[in-house]
Amino acid sequence: MYDIATDHAGAISAAVLALIFVAAFVFGLRFLATAGVAWAARITHVYDAAPSITKLAAALMLLSGTIHLALVPGHDGITGVLFVIDGLGFIVFAMAAFLTAWWHRPAVLWLAATILAYLVWVIAGWETPDQIGIACNLIELVALGLLMRLANPTRRTWPRRVWRATAFPLMACLTTLGIWVGGLAHPDALHAHAGALLQPVAAVANPEQQAAAAQLLADTRASIARYQDPAAAIAAGFKPGPASSADPLRHFQNSANANVILDPNRPQALVYAQTPHGLQLIGAMFQMPRAGQWGPDPGGPLTQWHQHEGICFSPFGIEFSFETPFWTCPIGSTSITTPPMLHVWIIDNGKNGPFAADLDKAVQRELTGRS
Amino acid sequence: MDRTPSTKSGAAEIASVLVVVQASLSLVAGLSAIPFAIVEPGFRVLAVVTILMAAAMFWLARNLRRGRRWAWRWLISMELLSLAMTALLSLLPIGTIRGPVPLLVNLVIPTAVVVLLAASNAGTASGPRTPAREDVDGPRRQQHAGDGHAYPFARDPQ
Repeated sequence: MYDIATDHAGAISAAVLALIFVAAFVFGLRFLATAGVAWAARITHVYDAAPSITKLAAALMLLSGTIHLALVPGHDGITGVLFVIDGLGFIVFAMAAFLTAWWHRPAVLWLAATILAYLVWVIAGWETPDQIGIACNLIELVALGLLMRLANPTRRTWPRRVWRATAFPLMACLTTLGIWVGGLAHPDALHAHAGALLQPVAAVANPEQQAAAAQLLADTRASIARYQDPAAAIAAGFKPGPASSADPLRHFQNSANANVILDPNRPQALVYAQTPHGLQLIGAMFQMPRAGQWGPDPGGPLTQWHQHEGICFSPFGIEFSFETPFWTCPIGSTSITTPPMLHVWIIDNGKNGPFAADLDKAVQRELTGRS
Repeated sequence: MDRTPSTKSGAAEIASVLVVVQASLSLVAGLSAIPFAIVEPGFRVLAVVTILMAAAMFWLARNLRRGRRWAWRWLISMELLSLAMTALLSLLPIGTIRGPVPLLVNLVIPTAVVVLLAASNAGTASGPRTPAREDVDGPRRQQHAGDGHAYPFARDPQ
């Protein structure tokens, strides 16, 4: 669900380079201090005297600052300007942590403001949440947690204690909620329903692609007609998936076809609708052997594959939920990404069309009585 | 390199902050499963277990800061188990680790906690016991050091 935006990828290299630079800088200072250079000895002394938490918080702020500055070229207007200000601010605070006594409270405010600003940008749709943004947010959350531990409470009253105990978990919950809302409210062009990543394709199908898509639909419809009766499918090696009250569709999978690629005569799965009158065959599902391996799309944009990611899968009862933007799942479930799949609906799938990732809601309601 | 007592207690403090981060992320994971639990009965149990586990981690982080030995033992066991599960899942072709966020959350943070816990433990049996908050807050906090619970990894009263 959350990928790495193309114009954000450079930030990873910048972050790695920043870490190498900091390590080399500290090592160089120590070398010069050992060699008797007075200013290097003074800086080394200041650095060594700082608490470990301060050192780590400064390193994380430096990292966040570097990432923000590395992202500037891909962001125009006010966002780019704010990235410059934010990045420089973090670098200043990272240095101020060793040189000043006033840095702590402004740094906390700067971190909190940066995290909240990201949420505002994401919810407003001015920025699409991606892994670089979320990773940077996580780095800032950790730095904020470290600085909150550094706080020196002058009055240990109950409200203050409760605030100190709950502020960080609340911030983490708020951040997750904000990124989730932003991601679901403003999915990018390659995300259909939540969690489904679409294969990149051309915008318009040419006549050859239209003909190929129609041929695939006709071949699939003719091929799977023999499985109208689920018993015939089971006899042919298709195994019924678990029945779920949450999903009115049931997939019958055939593991013998796992390595076959887009063969209408050997689909990886058959899709049945659980109607009030029993199971009704409504389509086939083709699936590639591995995640990230897009299949052939003879119909171009008409036969666009999709893969499901950001899903928490629980083997206890074969159940699913969405994982958080921080890639966490409830205990007992794990994050999975499915290999790309292409549905071919042999019934009229309304406005979604015969190759859509989802069954049209109106069609589904008509078939199963549920949406 | 000489490992001073304050470095050890600083490592424990940082580890406790990282555990609080992990606990917060677990709490969010548990809370986020609640809407799905309406239609997925298994997730009702998983959501409750995850929230309880998050609460336990907050409590362990608090006791780690207070220098409780048993908290240290529980945390290092949990982190090693977590890392083992991550290693196992990353071997499967299910795309568990894809990109910097899962790498940070599932690999870097647990590894950092294990390293910090190991660093905080090194030499505590023979070394002097030092107020844990001293390293965190500097000399100005030493006035609070006598609050009776600031010794890193004191042995459990048996």
